[in-house]
Amino acid sequence: MPPLALHLLKIGFITALYIFLWVVGRGIAGHLKRESARSEAPTVAITESPTQAGMTFRVSGPLILGRSPEADVVLQDPYASDFHIRLAFQGGEVRLHDLGSTNGTQVNGERVVAPLALRRGDRVQVGQTIMEIR
Amino acid sequence: MSRNTEAALVGLAAALAGAGAVLAPLADGDLPTYDVLLAPAVFLAAFGGLLLAVRRWAPRATRTLLPLAAFLTAVGWVEVSRLDRDLGRLQLWWLLVGTALAGTTLFVLRRRGVGVLRRYRYLFLVTGLGLLLLPLLPSSWPVRGLTLNGSRLWVRFQAGDLSLSFQPGEAAKILIVAFLASYLADRHRALTGMPRRLGPLSLPEPRQLLPVLLAFGVSFAVLVYQRDLGASVLLFLVFAAMLFAATGRFAYPAAALALLAGGGLAAYQYFGHVRLRVEAWLHPFADFAGTGYQVAQGLFALGSGGLTGTGLGAGRPDLIPAAATDFVFAAVSEELGLAGGLAVIAAYALLVAAGFGIALRARDPFRKLLAGGLTLTLAVQTVLIVGGILRLLPLTGITLPFMSYGGSSLLANLVLVALLARISHEEGS
Repeated sequence: MPPLALHLLKIGFITALYIFLWVVGRGIAGHLKRESARSEAPTVAITESPTQAGMTFRVSGPLILGRSPEADVVLQDPYASDFHIRLAFQGGEVRLHDLGSTNGTQVNGERVVAPLALRRGDRVQVGQTIMEIR
Repeated sequence: MSRNTEAALVGLAAALAGAGAVLAPLADGDLPTYDVLLAPAVFLAAFGGLLLAVRRWAPRATRTLLPLAAFLTAVGWVEVSRLDRDLGRLQLWWLLVGTALAGTTLFVLRRRGVGVLRRYRYLFLVTGLGLLLLPLLPSSWPVRGLTLNGSRLWVRFQAGDLSLSFQPGEAAKILIVAFLASYLADRHRALTGMPRRLGPLSLPEPRQLLPVLLAFGVSFAVLVYQRDLGASVLLFLVFAAMLFAATGRFAYPAAALALLAGGGLAAYQYFGHVRLRVEAWLHPFADFAGTGYQVAQGLFALGSGGLTGTGLGAGRPDLIPAAATDFVFAAVSEELGLAGGLAVIAAYALLVAAGFGIALRARDPFRKLLAGGLTLTLAVQTVLIVGGILRLLPLTGITLPFMSYGGSSLLANLVLVALLARISHEEGS
């Protein structure tokens, strides 16, 4: 075998190694992208409200929703308590905590009695305000 | 990655083994042997079979694990077979046995999953420690310890003419990781709380530190009685890293490093075999023909490889002592150059990334710690031996996972990959 041919074969072998790794690496990168899309902070959209319909916000850290101007998300809703609920995004899910509100909170029409995890598409009702997890 | 890509990559790994079997003899002007057909056939049968087992018993498993294991095994096999054709053929047998064992692992866990392993932790601990200490059996027994190259880490089983040698430490590392994952999953809260204060330091309850000291004791015993620096450091580092993963407290790795430094200094002072390793690391050319010979030959191999290597079969990796086992990375880097060596390291990095990804997504502490611990074992082992060859660390004689010649090592690492695949399958359920 002439040395040039051997050299080319060697380069070909090494190239095959890198093609292999490139395909695997792309597979892992795609997996990570899907994963981070899944773990990205979900959006909450207000679908029904006297004045705030159409408003959206993201639950990246813990958020307090209520009528008080000091709440993280101020609800313009006479039936909402000052500090009504707390939403937190942890471990890939949004957790809802009713902070002892006067009129209570409903998720998909059911009264919330204990902190619970929300899923995408769940409808949360606080007073007259209805919001959806997206 | 789609199912078809995964299967194609396993096929490509088999083709790489075949290509290596052609290229190595060509460099000497020889015609390829029947290994050209045998190797791809065995790789296809072994990894194809394991692929089918994964699809049947862990269908939602991450698809990146098997191709990477096949890749590393193939590149390692090419070099081992080029160094010693008979060892290469033996390794093909080990590959078949190993993938069969990995498939059996998936079969056994098919219904109850890895969660069932949590229940048997003390069995794992006792078996693991027993296996670690097995090589200390007297040399006159039918199952006996064997001292090779100054380290007593082999066991030989002899019945009449039939003899079988194995390194029980390789299986022990998986058992001990499984024990630790189970133990830490139950105790991590107690270990995270640090109620005691000592000046500026917060300490956990002293009795919570007992297992740390026990692990240190076991590692040190392995170092003293078996003179096995590699297994000793591997066990200890994996344990410290798992403690850190379970608690998130920096106190544990800090304490572990302090113990390691103290233990290392003491070992350097009192044990000749440790001092020789350190001397060969710092001054490989001071005693070139003697203690520094292996490290120095490894450096020559790396240096003469250059960017793209001498070509398969065209270098002299046979000059390195233990080229097919501990120094297979140096041999690959000589014949495929920096490019080949980096490809191998990239493959380990991807494998470790995939493993930690599985640990992050796993749904309970036991599975997280098991996946993390198994991945750490692979990572620490690779860093220790590659670091030793590159003279970044003192040389510790342990195998390079998947690539080194050796049945015990290949079997253990294939089972390890099967466990990771099973955990990644369970993440979604």
